[in-house]
Amino acid sequence: MEDETKKGLPRRHFLGQAAYGTTVLVFGSSYLVSQTLTARAEAATRADGRPRLPPGQRVLEKLKPMGGDPGDPRASAFRLQVGGSVERPFSLGFAELLKEPTATLSLDVHCVTGWSLFGARFKGVRVRDLAARAGVKPSARHVVFEAAHGYTSNVLLAEALDPNVLVTWELDGQRLAGPHGGPARVVVPDLYFWKSAKWITGIRFTEQDEPGYWETRGYNNHADPWREERYA
Amino acid sequence: MTRKRLPIRRYLRALHRDSGYLAVGLTFVYASSGLAVNHIADWDPNFTQIDRTVPVALDPAFARLHLTEDAASARRVAEATMRALGRDDAVKDVYAVDDAHVDVTLDGTMLYVDVGKGLVREEGQHERFLLRLANWLHLNRGKKAWTVIADGYAVLLLFLATSGLFMLPGRLGLLGRGAVLTGLGALVPILYVVLSGGP
Repeated sequence: MEDETKKGLPRRHFLGQAAYGTTVLVFGSSYLVSQTLTARAEAATRADGRPRLPPGQRVLEKLKPMGGDPGDPRASAFRLQVGGSVERPFSLGFAELLKEPTATLSLDVHCVTGWSLFGARFKGVRVRDLAARAGVKPSARHVVFEAAHGYTSNVLLAEALDPNVLVTWELDGQRLAGPHGGPARVVVPDLYFWKSAKWITGIRFTEQDEPGYWETRGYNNHADPWREERYA
Repeated sequence: MTRKRLPIRRYLRALHRDSGYLAVGLTFVYASSGLAVNHIADWDPNFTQIDRTVPVALDPAFARLHLTEDAASARRVAEATMRALGRDDAVKDVYAVDDAHVDVTLDGTMLYVDVGKGLVREEGQHERFLLRLANWLHLNRGKKAWTVIADGYAVLLLFLATSGLFMLPGRLGLLGRGAVLTGLGALVPILYVVLSGGP
């Protein structure tokens, strides 16, 4: 008589199939969600007439931590120096930063690795308000965002003073997590995201351009996502 | 008298083999890191992420404290939160952002305590130890001596690739299967540059 226990799927085979099926489901569904979001995004345009999704990007559901040498996540250790080519340099602790005039903006951000996030609600202080308080000299043309462990990113002054550029500490109603640059980072939404320095420590206004960490390692000096300015 | 020929292929094989042994460790470092970092858009190759929010039962009297003016009160909130969570990690720092919010720094994670709502959000990350080391080496974040080691490894790879071409005599010499496969391998980057439009 045939052994009943030998019937059906052998255990090892079953486990293999189950693992395979789970993998396909998890990655497949995540891929499909991203594809759906991307297809929807490709049809949308911004107020300035540019497509909402820059070329070569796909849409994700939430912000991805992209690494970097982590800075000190403690708000108590936070200090933001605003200086360089200004009349009145100053520095702010975390509690002082929160007392500056704030703005909560719904922003799209675009990572050079190919993902975009739409409508992330960042709360923070506009860089242009900090610049006004510091009294930027007319000779200044560039801004260097300084961050933990010597990381820097350079942005044209005119672009850094855009009203959508923030020093932010809150994302979607929650404090900015350490891996995303908390306690505070910069958001420069219209440039690739490496310009949005995490764990920010300083904003320095300069007369000469000073290419930053990635800009001196083969990445584009300007980083416009709509022109796909990814590499030098 | 016939002159004895140097057994070049034998020397080449021995050198290729020994260079290969030397390259194994670094190849694992660079290859595993390369795979990990290539897919950085899909995952974090250095850390696993923690982000969870849990309710905690805190003394309602805490909501009436002036936490920003009294560090001892902020510390009491932190201690009560740790007790409520059943945690005994070392508290590295306590900071009252305002009278309703306290940040508690632990080793590798942060607790954001919303005193009014009785909610604690824990966020942070744990490193993928081996992969983070491999990525750190691969991206040469250490600089200094590693540049010399990485250069030496690159030269070793060039030698391995070149010596591999001549190690074993093919039936048709360099014009047989070896030539076809080498040509195919070289064609991959060339085709990619041509088809993608290049830099």
